[in-house]
Amino acid sequence: MLHKVLGVLLFFSFTTLAFSQNSFTVKGVVYNAATLQPIENALITMGNSSTNTSISGTFSIKEVESMRYTLSISHQKYTSKTVTLKVSFKMNLIEVYLEEKTTALEEVKVTGKSKQRELQESAVVVQDISQEFLENNRENTLMQTLSKIPGVSTINIGSGQSKPVIRGLGFNRVAVVQNGIKHEAQQWGNDHGLEIDQYNIEHIQIIKGPASLVYGSDAIAGVVDIQPNKIPAPHSFGGEVNLLAETNNDLLGVSAGVKARKENWFYRSRLTYRDYADYKVPTDKINYENYIFHLHDNNLRNTAGREADASFSVGYLGDGIKSETTFSNVNAKNGFFANAHGLEVRTSDIDYDSSNRDIDLPFHKVNHFKITNNTSFSIKDHDFYVDAGYQYNVREEHSEPVPHGYMPTPSDSQERVFNKNTYTLNVKDSFKSISQHTMVMGLNLEYQNNNIGGWGFLIPEYNRFTVGAFAFDEIEINSNLHFLAGLRYDYGFVDTKAYFDWYPSTINNEDGSTSYVHLQRAQDKELNFGNISASAGVSYIHNNSTFKLNIGKSFRMPLANELASDGVNYHMYRYERGNLNLDPEESYQIDLDIAHTTKSFSVGLSPFVNFFENFIYLNPTSNYYETLQIYEYTQSEVFRVGGELRAQTTVLENLQLNASAEYVYSRQNSGPKKGFTIPFSPPLSGLFSANYQFKNILFFKQPKLIAEYKIAAAQEEIVPPEEVTEGYQLLNMSLVTELALFKNNLPVKMRIKLNNVANTKYYDHTSFYRLIDVPEAGRNLSVSLTLPF
Amino acid sequence: MKLKIKYFVLLLCAISILSCSSDDGIEKDEEKPTITINYEDGFPQACTELVKGETYTFKALVTDNQALASYSLDVHHNFDHHTHDDQGEECELEEKKEAVNPLIYMENVSLEEAYTTYEITFTVEIPTDIDAGDYHCSYSVTDETGWQARTSIDIKIIE
Repeated sequence: MLHKVLGVLLFFSFTTLAFSQNSFTVKGVVYNAATLQPIENALITMGNSSTNTSISGTFSIKEVESMRYTLSISHQKYTSKTVTLKVSFKMNLIEVYLEEKTTALEEVKVTGKSKQRELQESAVVVQDISQEFLENNRENTLMQTLSKIPGVSTINIGSGQSKPVIRGLGFNRVAVVQNGIKHEAQQWGNDHGLEIDQYNIEHIQIIKGPASLVYGSDAIAGVVDIQPNKIPAPHSFGGEVNLLAETNNDLLGVSAGVKARKENWFYRSRLTYRDYADYKVPTDKINYENYIFHLHDNNLRNTAGREADASFSVGYLGDGIKSETTFSNVNAKNGFFANAHGLEVRTSDIDYDSSNRDIDLPFHKVNHFKITNNTSFSIKDHDFYVDAGYQYNVREEHSEPVPHGYMPTPSDSQERVFNKNTYTLNVKDSFKSISQHTMVMGLNLEYQNNNIGGWGFLIPEYNRFTVGAFAFDEIEINSNLHFLAGLRYDYGFVDTKAYFDWYPSTINNEDGSTSYVHLQRAQDKELNFGNISASAGVSYIHNNSTFKLNIGKSFRMPLANELASDGVNYHMYRYERGNLNLDPEESYQIDLDIAHTTKSFSVGLSPFVNFFENFIYLNPTSNYYETLQIYEYTQSEVFRVGGELRAQTTVLENLQLNASAEYVYSRQNSGPKKGFTIPFSPPLSGLFSANYQFKNILFFKQPKLIAEYKIAAAQEEIVPPEEVTEGYQLLNMSLVTELALFKNNLPVKMRIKLNNVANTKYYDHTSFYRLIDVPEAGRNLSVSLTLPF
Repeated sequence: MKLKIKYFVLLLCAISILSCSSDDGIEKDEEKPTITINYEDGFPQACTELVKGETYTFKALVTDNQALASYSLDVHHNFDHHTHDDQGEECELEEKKEAVNPLIYMENVSLEEAYTTYEITFTVEIPTDIDAGDYHCSYSVTDETGWQARTSIDIKIIE
């Protein structure tokens, strides 16, 4: 109510002012008709005066006399519009909605021109992913969607889960950040994916390279930084419903989001539900070692799953202050391939083939609850950013209780339970110190408390605290030459808790006697880590070319499982042993990025050289523990080199061609696997795509046909226990169009996608199921609709 | 000139990538060891019945291109039909039952010398007080690089 009263008072005060001058001010806002986001830099001309819209899409033309005018609104990316109006003292705010031009659509697009310039000037090599890219390329999981970006790949766990990989480094070497808070998920196992609702994401920035300076530990290989969603326009209400259906895994998905804003307060909410059956592979049997698993109806049995996500946020945007609090919950249940989850071959009485939708053992249930608050405000020349977060992760792994070694048959299926609380606080201050210098200083605090349950043991209970402080300086020598240099120090401690087996093991003593002992798997131990990170870079813009060079040192604190695992991983059928003497990983990298862009042609090259002093990996040793092979966390020197190449051209007016290639070579230079590569190395691959923009046909607006052809070379660089993976070629097609079904409503967006057109049987070297010789998913037709309102 | 610099930079990158990918001659062992019971002395064969109180010599043949490192033998019950062997022969399984006092046999041995061919032998005495029924016997072997090979056999223990 107060806002309304204030608003009315404010309105009157303006109009009175205008009236007293006997000339008027024409005010308005320009929005994108499809996304309802404000359009910046639109040209407004009225009579002899003209102006550009601001970042919030607003414009005003002052000192206008009272008469009838024609206002024209134009922008290079949008279809121009003209509006006639009569200027008088009773004028309302003019709202203009522009439709996107058909020719301006690109696969990867930076948002607005100034944004592009900003990214060009930044010494950091950042890849900007727009909402449009996400919508046009959406796959089953966020990382599958992003894997179309050169240098980004994914470790898939069936059809519903994935882990991020950047330039061949994955797991916790990639920091996933959402709303400024490091997202906690996926570190509890090879079969544990990211827990994120991808429908709730509008904008992502990807850093391919060490970024510990700002993001701290874990950002050693790169960052997937999910940006806060754009704030809705004032006095707006909007939303959309997304529907998705797929044939390969009989997926049905629905997601609905709304957002609203009054003057200062805004709200958003989204609900997502997905349910999918076992996915189909183009084979009727799996050959693994000497075993043959026959598949019923090509279904990879028990890989069905479901996911239910909800989020709500409320925010305030005022004079010099912005604050938003977000609550989100991701809940999922995923089945795992029944015959061999991991490496152990299993038979079972469960009738897996009676339904392809049921989720039997083995499966996992995950729940991720998160509250974040992002507040930014300005005091004098200082911009402060405060991000606070609380995350509560639960993961339950269930499998059929089976005796192993001295362990008798457990009483239930609950193999492992993890509960983790994470508290995060990040504070950042950005200010212009002297002219040409922008200083940024920040502090990151994180506390984790991990609890365990179940009859299996892998990761101990632990508490972990980390604190890091950083400062960097951006220097503008001139508008085309920018430097960046920064330094960071981190301190952390991990406090692991003791764990003893719940069953006795038989120990044959030296004196011939036998004792029965509850073996100790983890010790009470406190470990401390300290580390310095640093980064320096330069960006130089010369006409249509941008050159960037970066040198950085990043680090990663060892995880609790790397330090203190000591137990049988039944899924993988191996004995995993941690090492309390591990040092933090330290990595040095040189990155180069060259981009050349003209109107019809663009090309970019981004090579890198990287050296790890002590890369941590799970090394299969030659030794056994109770007849299971011992895998031990080990450190070695690793040298890596590689890069990405990208090119784009507009051949005809409506035909756009894209090509990209990525390659990483890795090699261990010391340790027990000297000469070998590192695990999960993606092969050399290329992606070619052609987009053809058709004319509007009937009620199909802006129909676009996209063909994508992926070529991956064989991966012959392997390390035990991996297998050489053959190369493959894959064709995906999609059609994206808008449907103008109802005249006055916003158009419905439709996407029809056909993945793996030829139903090719191929293996992805970095897929979780690769180890047991399971090929990737077969042909999949999917239809998705986005209905805005 | 400008163009030349650009191509020079590109060339430099290409050369650096290519030159780093050349191997400097370290021989990598990319071969797994092999393991088999399919020879005259291999024991037990699929569906073999072992009698309580008797002593048997378990034998398997292992090979590697460079050096064998360790091997193991694991005998555990399959009363719940949780697994099956890889011998390609289906043994008739008894009814499922609860384990009371099953035989648990786990032995690991590290080889002192770097053999490329070796015959694994374990002398196993079948105790008289254990549960009779379906058992699963699995051999595994590693080489010095950390590659592993496994084979398993379904057997029975009878009175």
